[in-house]
Amino acid sequence: MTVPSGAGGASGPRAASHPAASPGPAALPAMAGSSGLGRASGAGGGLAAGGGASGAGGAFGGDGAFGVGIGWRPEIAGFVAALPGLRFTEVIAESVPASGPVPAPLAALRDAGTAVIPHGVKLSLGGAEPVDPARVAHLAAAARQLDAPLVSEHIAFVRAGGLEAGHLLPLPRSREAVDAVVANVARAQAELPVPIALEPIAAIFDWPDDELDEAAFLTEILDRTGALLLLDIANVYANARNRGTEPTDLLDRLPLDRVAYVHVAGGAEHDGVYHDTHTDAVPPQVLDLVTELCARHRPPALMLERDGHYPPADTLRTELDAIATASGYPVVT
Amino acid sequence: METVLAAQGDTWGIPGPTFLAIFAGAAVALVIAALIHRAVLFAGHHTPVDRLGPQQVAYLNGGDRLAVYSSLAGLRAAGAIEVGPGRTLTASGPMPAGATPLDQAVYNAAGQRVRARDVDGDQWVRMALTTLRDDLERRGLAPSEGTRQAARAVPFLMLVLLGLGVVRLVAGIAGGKPVGYLVVLTIVWALVTLIVFRTIPTRTRAARRALDELRRQHTYLAPSMTPAWATYGAAGLALGVGLYGAASLWQADAAFAEEAEIQRQYASTAGTGGYYGGSGGDSGGSSSGGGDGGSSCGGGGGCGGGCGGGCGG
Repeated sequence: MTVPSGAGGASGPRAASHPAASPGPAALPAMAGSSGLGRASGAGGGLAAGGGASGAGGAFGGDGAFGVGIGWRPEIAGFVAALPGLRFTEVIAESVPASGPVPAPLAALRDAGTAVIPHGVKLSLGGAEPVDPARVAHLAAAARQLDAPLVSEHIAFVRAGGLEAGHLLPLPRSREAVDAVVANVARAQAELPVPIALEPIAAIFDWPDDELDEAAFLTEILDRTGALLLLDIANVYANARNRGTEPTDLLDRLPLDRVAYVHVAGGAEHDGVYHDTHTDAVPPQVLDLVTELCARHRPPALMLERDGHYPPADTLRTELDAIATASGYPVVT
Repeated sequence: METVLAAQGDTWGIPGPTFLAIFAGAAVALVIAALIHRAVLFAGHHTPVDRLGPQQVAYLNGGDRLAVYSSLAGLRAAGAIEVGPGRTLTASGPMPAGATPLDQAVYNAAGQRVRARDVDGDQWVRMALTTLRDDLERRGLAPSEGTRQAARAVPFLMLVLLGLGVVRLVAGIAGGKPVGYLVVLTIVWALVTLIVFRTIPTRTRAARRALDELRRQHTYLAPSMTPAWATYGAAGLALGVGLYGAASLWQADAAFAEEAEIQRQYASTAGTGGYYGGSGGDSGGSSSGGGDGGSSCGGGGGCGGGCGGGCGG
């Protein structure tokens, strides 16, 4: 796997000099992770998960931003493996076998130096009951097997009272919910060998008794857990569009220096409601929001999240290139 | 006294146990000879796998029929053909760039509205298949008809031995001799002979290594990965069919496969390989294709994984 010049260790200065990056005071600490400035603990697994002030850049190890990636799915394994500039990808954690050898395609990526991040979907961190230790152990095992620099999960619940919802369900934004999430994240962090990044989910509806707005809710969880943020920019767009608010308002209020990486996905509108489908093309508005995000604080990594209805390889490459253009990172195709 | 009487009564003057021992010894020698003969005949020549196209891979994996299936899959994915009324092929678009001679022949047959299942009987298609096979023979990947004839020499001797056993059996029964062991041995030997005849390889060991190597490189095309065929394109699907059998075409386009009467399990590896198959587990040679597409691994069941080593041969 060849890495084009510019995608390697030199990306720190590149990032700082890119016009879209415009690093303000808040941006510099995260960049420090990439340029190796004063972050002794910045090397991968050495980073303490609970370190409240840890910047997101450090979570990806000491050698800089990872640029543009794509979610690894079995269906497109051959496409992902053939991307010459790919430096990170994400795999559904529950699909990684708990024991035995790592599936060959993932092992090949890992061995070629591509960071592989286990992305959990069934931990149910937002559940009222404690997280299942077996599920946490599986996530930890996946991180070790893949030499992952971090893991990620959702701020959501997928089961309650012994019933499996089969979906990621949104939490009411109450102080009680924050307490529950914080307690569960702490339980997970105690067992995980690497930092965890938390992903807020798309919510078609709001709970009636919300005490906090989205930014306050997320910021409080991140502050109290020291976790990183996995920002789904398509969710930000979808929520804002469906609620009639400005998506940049949320970006302005989130701790963007805590973003470990970003999901970029496509969606479609049905009956006036925009759905974050992950099976459609990424709309230009979402790419514009990527540019807005990167203008405020460029995250170390952004990835295309495609979960089905996969288009021809050329179309996927065009989408990856569009994300690279929108974020100012080198193309990986 | 008794032994002398017994000896006089022996069929052909040879005592039963002695005949059994000679028979068994000859049988073992013939099996060894057959294996060695095959190993020599079917060694083949090493070929870099990147010089093999999807249809050549398909031919090595499943003979003429799979080569045609691979071509149909590629043309279909490129939008060049479809199935019309009466399950006949029709051209639905221009012939794609880079079409192989077999593609051109199949596309031409589609233009003449040949029934999909009869396309491998089309004259031009037959010629293209012959050219394909001749090329693979020259490259030491497919055995020539002469080689396959030569490979029948030892099995023919096995048949002679079988005949000898049967004659002895008949004579023994006629003489009122106990023949229980000989019956068992003859039946076993008949089965062994049949297997040796039926498993004359359709590809050389070099070809089998090439197929294993290609499957390792293209695990992502295994049906167990539910590959995104739109992403991999026409060439990806053609190679997927070549490596993993007709099941890939069914997975990619079930409506077309059904109308074209594609045999669903033809030359399909038994759901192994891919993401959960672990490393190297994708080489199971079990082929449910008819006749010439058959596995050269003999027993089938025991072949998974270790096939690259030395089963059959």
